[in-house]
Amino acid sequence: MIQLSRNYTLPEREDEIIPIRVIGVGGAGANALDRMVLDGLDKADLVVANTDVQSLASSVAAAKVQLGRTVTRGLGTGGDPELGYDAANESADEIRQALADARLIFICAGLGGGTGSGAAPVIAELARESGALVISFATMPFGFEGKRRMAQANEALVRLQESSSAVICFDNDKMGDIVAPKAGIHQAFAAADVTVSQSVRSIVNLIQRPGLIRIGFDDLLSALRSPNARCLFGFGESDSDNRAYDALTQALKNPLMDRGRLLADAANVLVQVAGGPGMTLSEVESLMQELNRHVGDETQILFGTAVDGRMGNRMAVTLISSLAADGAVVERPVFTAPAAAPKPTYIPPVEPKAVPPAPVPAVSLDEDIGEMMFTPEPPAQPERPLKTIEAKMSAPEPELEIAEPEEFEPEFVEPSPAPVLQAAPPPALIEPEPEQPRVILPAKKKALPAVVEAKPAVEKIVQAKQEVLQFESVTRGRFEKSEPTIVEGQDLDVPTFLRKNVRVK
Amino acid sequence: MASSDLMVGLEIGTSKICVVVGEGRPDGTIKILGVGQAPSRGVRKGEIVDFETAMKCVHEAVVDAETKSDVMIRSVYVAISGSHIQSFNNRGAVTLPEDRDEIDEQDIEDVKINAREVSIPAQNAFLHSIIQHYHVDGQDGVLNPVGMLAEKLEADFHIIHGVRTRIQNTIRCVKELPLEVEDVVFSALASAQVVLTPNQKGLGALVIDIGGGTTDYILYVDGAVKQSGCLGVGGDHITNDISMGLRIPMTRAEKLKIDEGSAVLGNCLPGETVQLRDDSGFAGKEIERETLNTIINLRLRETFELLKKKLEEEPFINYVGEGIFITGGCSHLKGIAHLAEEVFELPARVAHAQTMSGLTSAFENPQFSAAIGLIKYAQAVQTDRPRPRRFGRIFGKLFNGMRLS
Repeated sequence: MIQLSRNYTLPEREDEIIPIRVIGVGGAGANALDRMVLDGLDKADLVVANTDVQSLASSVAAAKVQLGRTVTRGLGTGGDPELGYDAANESADEIRQALADARLIFICAGLGGGTGSGAAPVIAELARESGALVISFATMPFGFEGKRRMAQANEALVRLQESSSAVICFDNDKMGDIVAPKAGIHQAFAAADVTVSQSVRSIVNLIQRPGLIRIGFDDLLSALRSPNARCLFGFGESDSDNRAYDALTQALKNPLMDRGRLLADAANVLVQVAGGPGMTLSEVESLMQELNRHVGDETQILFGTAVDGRMGNRMAVTLISSLAADGAVVERPVFTAPAAAPKPTYIPPVEPKAVPPAPVPAVSLDEDIGEMMFTPEPPAQPERPLKTIEAKMSAPEPELEIAEPEEFEPEFVEPSPAPVLQAAPPPALIEPEPEQPRVILPAKKKALPAVVEAKPAVEKIVQAKQEVLQFESVTRGRFEKSEPTIVEGQDLDVPTFLRKNVRVK
Repeated sequence: MASSDLMVGLEIGTSKICVVVGEGRPDGTIKILGVGQAPSRGVRKGEIVDFETAMKCVHEAVVDAETKSDVMIRSVYVAISGSHIQSFNNRGAVTLPEDRDEIDEQDIEDVKINAREVSIPAQNAFLHSIIQHYHVDGQDGVLNPVGMLAEKLEADFHIIHGVRTRIQNTIRCVKELPLEVEDVVFSALASAQVVLTPNQKGLGALVIDIGGGTTDYILYVDGAVKQSGCLGVGGDHITNDISMGLRIPMTRAEKLKIDEGSAVLGNCLPGETVQLRDDSGFAGKEIERETLNTIINLRLRETFELLKKKLEEEPFINYVGEGIFITGGCSHLKGIAHLAEEVFELPARVAHAQTMSGLTSAFENPQFSAAIGLIKYAQAVQTDRPRPRRFGRIFGKLFNGMRLS
């Protein structure tokens, strides 16, 4: 057994500290950020961005950006992503300033509401323009918050995926798994914050911590490479006697890991094992052996290890991976697919813009950055057909749009029409689509028709519900006073022939 | 009579309450000594909604069983049903300490506890953790790992849980009589004990227990429980549908369903009618047979389709080799097996308790499957429990004897 001791650690090189910015968007983002501050995150700068001044004021983050001074006048967005979008565009300069010089930007947002869903994709966009690697942490709303909110969240998620290098998505519903059944509701809500905070901290540590076997940007990227994919993320820490095993088990217990079952299909798995000076080789070995059982034979393991005096007796395992878009993603894209149509608005800006800033940051790690800038694109290739179709669909509406969005930042608009027009020739698919993208169009003038359009849908839903309610109260017969048996939205106590509209007699 | 082996199963159903008194024979068979039953009131969809009334009905049924079997009933096994019951599969794992590499009983307990370390809704309580298979150091399909050498023991469990207060309500209803509650058992699990033979469990079978208020199901593949659950729809719903569709009272509808109803369509002449007679025998309303059957068919078909959908969430239904076994009061309905075959595309039959002796009329009625199953379950548990410690077994027997006689 080889005892690793402090003497073996490489001298820390302070100059290698990478500027990292963590930006929390919206109420949920701010909460996650506060949690990070409480947990202690000293190697990154925290920025909170929100439309709600009150929430901004109560945040403990050092830097604050108020979104949409004129759009929302310091109030929240009231769950309207359009407003969030407008607000973020209005404050684009401030956001840019806040994100300047960062090499790695984390965006934390709770999707489903107004600010998180509307502003986070814009901020991701701006972050990427600044030439940084952008990793977004998104929390999806609880199922009980309603389908509308879930739809907004899914739409925002798709857009976030467009503009971020990687999106790590937490399902609030799954957070239930990590909260003890008897825990209070505040704990359940805090669970998402804690998980996000833990994830950010562990990635920051992973990159900042001087390692025996170092993990860099490139490793991180290749682990997260599959675009629009489902990120697997796990973090575990333990100081028990069996700490290697416990830490790994804990990491695999993370709701995003599905107990390690999903690892089997992953192409790359990034593993970082960090521990105090007392960490032994055999511990690391047994941990990796255990992990190997969860990982397929084809999987490439990107292994890193670090010894950190401050870890004391603890041992921490960080697992990061992503699943290719085909298999496991089925879950999400199926939902997001209908929402896919609107996202084209963002595609044109993404690509032309991602390229120009690339040469700018030419510092010591520029190889990494090079990869960081370009790797997101090759992986996008398999997805290309989809994108081009979308680009085609989007083609018409930039044309419509060009005339109107005067209030736009010039850089934001200029590049987008040009490439789009070139890519636009086949306008065959235009007709059915134009209204849909309009819903999320940023321009104020468009917002009005969008509202008009969104409303009928809402009304429809309400109407349908009313009908069902009426139905129920009349026809449940014997089960009138008992608790209804509702499966898939149908009240089974109502006679089947009535629900299926079969005429009897 | 070896009173120690007396076992009583109590099922508080939506339409009736039945109490089965059975005696376990040393050779493992069961003799039914008596069956008591009483119509149930105060129960809806398998759950008690009127405590006082339900308690009276249980009391009636117990007294009936005591008279018929000539046995004083002190403690019972109670079947639990209701749509709050849910299940899932989970794997537990334990690593053996470094100084020991032989798996012992304690490890089996530990792995069971470990498998339960998942969050179920806070108001829920575990009903059963049923072992499926053990994995010893990655070796799959181990049936009994005690004594094997290993570093790591894993086990797949099927875990059934339900809302604690609702389970407690049922228990309280029995305890206030007062009777001891030995154990509560999910009713489909109980039914499967007597409806299926071990061989059928091994080949893969689905048991659907359609009672008055609930439809309980349990799926066996490779001898292990893979899926189970409960749908809050049963025979009462059919009656309700008929009553509402034909605008006749519930009691008539019930009678009509039992006497004339069929789950399959197209078996009657066009325009064929049924005379609805009132109690005095006067001819009343005429009802078209096809209409009646359509109502029944739609409801049952929907119920089966919902079950199928639930079962298809996991792949196990594809490995059912033996087919579907329909039991419970509602399985008396004509054509029900045929309809199940049509929906599930698997062979289906109506089944009742097997391998019993005693009152044949009792166990040949699918209505009593769950209650008789409780006895079989009790027998399995009682012989299982104290096996490792001989003294414990003797004491256990004495103790049981004192309680029962």
